[in-house]
Amino acid sequence: MSVIENIRKSPGGILSVGAHPQIFQAILDFDYLAGKKEPSLVGVIVSNRRAMKLFWGKGEVLVPCFPSAKAVPEDVARKVQWMLNVQSGRRTYDSTVSFFEAFPNALGGHLFAENVPERHATELLKKYGKTKIIAGPSGVGFLIGGTLKLGAIGGTDATMLSASHLAEEGTVAVVSTSGGMTNELIRDVALAGKRVSFSISIGGDRFPITSLADVLMLAENDPKTKAICYFGELGGSDEYEIVDLIKAKKLTKPMIAYIAGIIDEAFDEHMQFGHAKALVAKKDESARAKREALSSAGVTAPDTFPDFLEALKKLPGDIASDTVTAMDLSDRRSSILSTREIVDVEHGHEFVKGKKLTSARPYALSRAFLEAMLGREISDATAALGEEIFESLIDHGGNVSGAVNTMITARAGKDMVSSLAAGLLTVGPRFGGAVNAAAAAWLEGIALGFPAAEFVEKKTKGGNLLAGIGHRKYRVGIPDPRVASIAKFADLLKKHPHYDFARSVEEVTTAKNGKLILNVDGAMAALMLDMLMEREGFTREDLQALVQAEFFNALFVIPRTVGFISHFMEQKKNDEGLFRLPDELLFVNKKNLKKKK
Amino acid sequence: MARVKLTEFRAKSLILGDSYNGISVRAGEKFQIPVGKFVAKVDQGVKKRFKQGLVAIDKKASELGSFFKAMGKKGFTQFIVEPMFPHEASEEQYFSLERVRQGLRLLHAKDGGVSIEEHPEQVSNMILASREDCAAASRKTGIPQKFLEHLHDVFNDNFFAFLEINPLIVRGENVFLLDAAVLADSAAQFFVKDAWTDADIVRAKAKHANEQAVEKLAATTPAALSLKVLNKDGALFFLLSGGGGSIVIADEVAARGMGNLLGNYGEYSGGPTREETYLYAKEVLGLMLSSKSKKKGLIIAGGVANFTDIKQTFAGIIDALTEAAPKMRKQGIKVFVRRGGPNEAAGLKAMEEFLKKEQLLGSVYGSNTVITQAVEDAMDIVEE
Repeated sequence: MSVIENIRKSPGGILSVGAHPQIFQAILDFDYLAGKKEPSLVGVIVSNRRAMKLFWGKGEVLVPCFPSAKAVPEDVARKVQWMLNVQSGRRTYDSTVSFFEAFPNALGGHLFAENVPERHATELLKKYGKTKIIAGPSGVGFLIGGTLKLGAIGGTDATMLSASHLAEEGTVAVVSTSGGMTNELIRDVALAGKRVSFSISIGGDRFPITSLADVLMLAENDPKTKAICYFGELGGSDEYEIVDLIKAKKLTKPMIAYIAGIIDEAFDEHMQFGHAKALVAKKDESARAKREALSSAGVTAPDTFPDFLEALKKLPGDIASDTVTAMDLSDRRSSILSTREIVDVEHGHEFVKGKKLTSARPYALSRAFLEAMLGREISDATAALGEEIFESLIDHGGNVSGAVNTMITARAGKDMVSSLAAGLLTVGPRFGGAVNAAAAAWLEGIALGFPAAEFVEKKTKGGNLLAGIGHRKYRVGIPDPRVASIAKFADLLKKHPHYDFARSVEEVTTAKNGKLILNVDGAMAALMLDMLMEREGFTREDLQALVQAEFFNALFVIPRTVGFISHFMEQKKNDEGLFRLPDELLFVNKKNLKKKK
Repeated sequence: MARVKLTEFRAKSLILGDSYNGISVRAGEKFQIPVGKFVAKVDQGVKKRFKQGLVAIDKKASELGSFFKAMGKKGFTQFIVEPMFPHEASEEQYFSLERVRQGLRLLHAKDGGVSIEEHPEQVSNMILASREDCAAASRKTGIPQKFLEHLHDVFNDNFFAFLEINPLIVRGENVFLLDAAVLADSAAQFFVKDAWTDADIVRAKAKHANEQAVEKLAATTPAALSLKVLNKDGALFFLLSGGGGSIVIADEVAARGMGNLLGNYGEYSGGPTREETYLYAKEVLGLMLSSKSKKKGLIIAGGVANFTDIKQTFAGIIDALTEAAPKMRKQGIKVFVRRGGPNEAAGLKAMEEFLKKEQLLGSVYGSNTVITQAVEDAMDIVEE
């Protein structure tokens, strides 16, 4: 089967290197108009964001973003067949090589940048020219009618896509060195009552990765393509390759060509036109010479553009009737907030059946909490760890600062939400908020690959404290019972690298001071990391994302909310009136008060 | 985005490194030339300098001043001065390297000298697919392998696109470059750091005031703006947008044999802002208004744009047209429009209403009309 036909059968997904929302939207509009079930753009490689919101029809979708090609998770990576590289000319070479290192079996791509150095282009063509379809450098990309739109090709607003009937399969292959003229020709094909089979904008650069001859052979071998429509310019000698292909009978399909640039004859000296290649350096590269060579080989290469359009009308492949795409994509309003469905709000839970309690799922509430936050179903082991953590962190006595604030606020006559908020607002780096910091530390420690001693050295420079290490009450010899029970979860796991690392850090720190033991924050962070990795299949990047979203602090905030509410209720029950700090418990340093003389 | 000429001085400095003993002289700058006999040449990318009399041979340092002065009168400002290199004409060879799809194409002729164009059949042609091919090329050309490998490295490290040494003289293991010309890849300027810079690029000087104004404007924007004056008393003036489409439209004029009536050529593309488009259009309109031609037409045309916002760029053109309208009416100039792309309908509507109001309307077409229609209409009017 031909290459193009193969792609029609299984087009695959596009991963963009760099962000270009206008092109992305055009790709999604094309997909939508072509009746696809989901966008062909499966991800974007860009730092500083995790998702990009685009229209899907009149609705919206989030396309995920990743910091590098390697960071693309397996479920997305599986779909990737195409690279859309919209980076600048400086970055095109490196980013293209990284993409194909991560996706060696991808079918090809499009290099959008205009200023790709010639040397980079020739190196890329040496690496990928024979095995992949790559449109560019420069130009607008690669299009298969109704199947794939890789780039700005055919237009960037929905009106243009509809007017050119891009979502339909056709019979005329459009090949052009000029990006703008690619669009022009695609429109002309539609105006001539035909549709595009596929189109490649080979770009105005001197060294297109997939060459004109390659594209013509794709057209020749594509059963759906009945004729070829070509736009070329003065400069370069690619057209002589066409002549050779025709003479060798390798290229047999009817072809029309317009070679632009006879205006060059009106100038005193040869002019550099917009495209890098569009400069006549030798006589046989003139537009007139190339037209004549093509004509003599049997290509219809008219002298004027209107004549060229007449020839286009005569090509085979008229459509029977003009099917109107009735979808209107105008008038769209972008939403300003997006989220996901956290829980299934459509269905209730069934606890009682036939006047009897049904057997609930184990650790049902902890499981529900974790699943809501993580956005996926979890195993019993993870739910049980959640249960252990939630249960042991409900309260840690009325002395801790958050509980005190809750109680003081309650006694000032405030309501539950205010009192709870006062308590919660106390949660921070010194109280309860260290779980997330501990998770970040264990992740970093493993990523750096330092021995624990070196890690401790680095992190405690300048007197900084290590999150997850140290306790006021417990010390070596007096272990924290909560840590001991959480630590047992390590027995459920085959590997527990974060927990091991935390313990080796503890070994280093306790050698300095017996109080610097692994505390409950550090232990739960480490084991939750290990559990999510082994039992739920989270990658390091997933875990990093959880740290950034402060998931690990939620492990404290959720149960402690119940603790604070309990303290609030207790205050309301006792109702001891407004709290005031007794004088003997407050030291007032009067000496420092400066008085005006 | 294109191949640019480097000065011969920079080209040789890059190839020969510290052993190069040429001196670069620029008008108005101080220079020192030691004792000895010298060759002085104009170093501004001019071809066939010898035939044009832009070279002085076998001169003492004291005699060079008058050469520079004479050249200055012809408008040249950059020179290269090298010690005289006595040799026989029979020693002169031709050598060039060019970046092509398969690698570097090497052209060589044993009896090259300065008249290589007249003897293309004597030129041998080979491809250096990699550095390793230099050995075979050395055997075939008699040029030392080490030197070829060095050239291969210099060519790639400095992102050259074309290098011509003509004449080249080989004496055993020693190689001498009498004249050298290099085209470098302007897209690679970032990668070569300071090996060559803007100061080393020779550019044809904009001759016309309007060209110079556009050149200045183009240097301050990421959009692509260009203007070339073809005939200051032309009848047809262009405001074209987008590379390929612009050539198609201009071709139509050439096809009807009216190339001599073309006042200007140039493009605005790459998404210029309203203000940039205004400034660009102003230069073209100024040029058109000062043309002495009795019948004149303005063509605002382009293909179906990918990104350039039609509404926005047309607003800039309307700003410029508003200023020029009274004079245009007086001269009986009509405006012919064809354009497509994002915001096409709104842009075309604004333009048509404006032209009607100002009595400048020739015709206005969108992307469903053939790209050349506006220029056809304009030619019909001018031809009457």
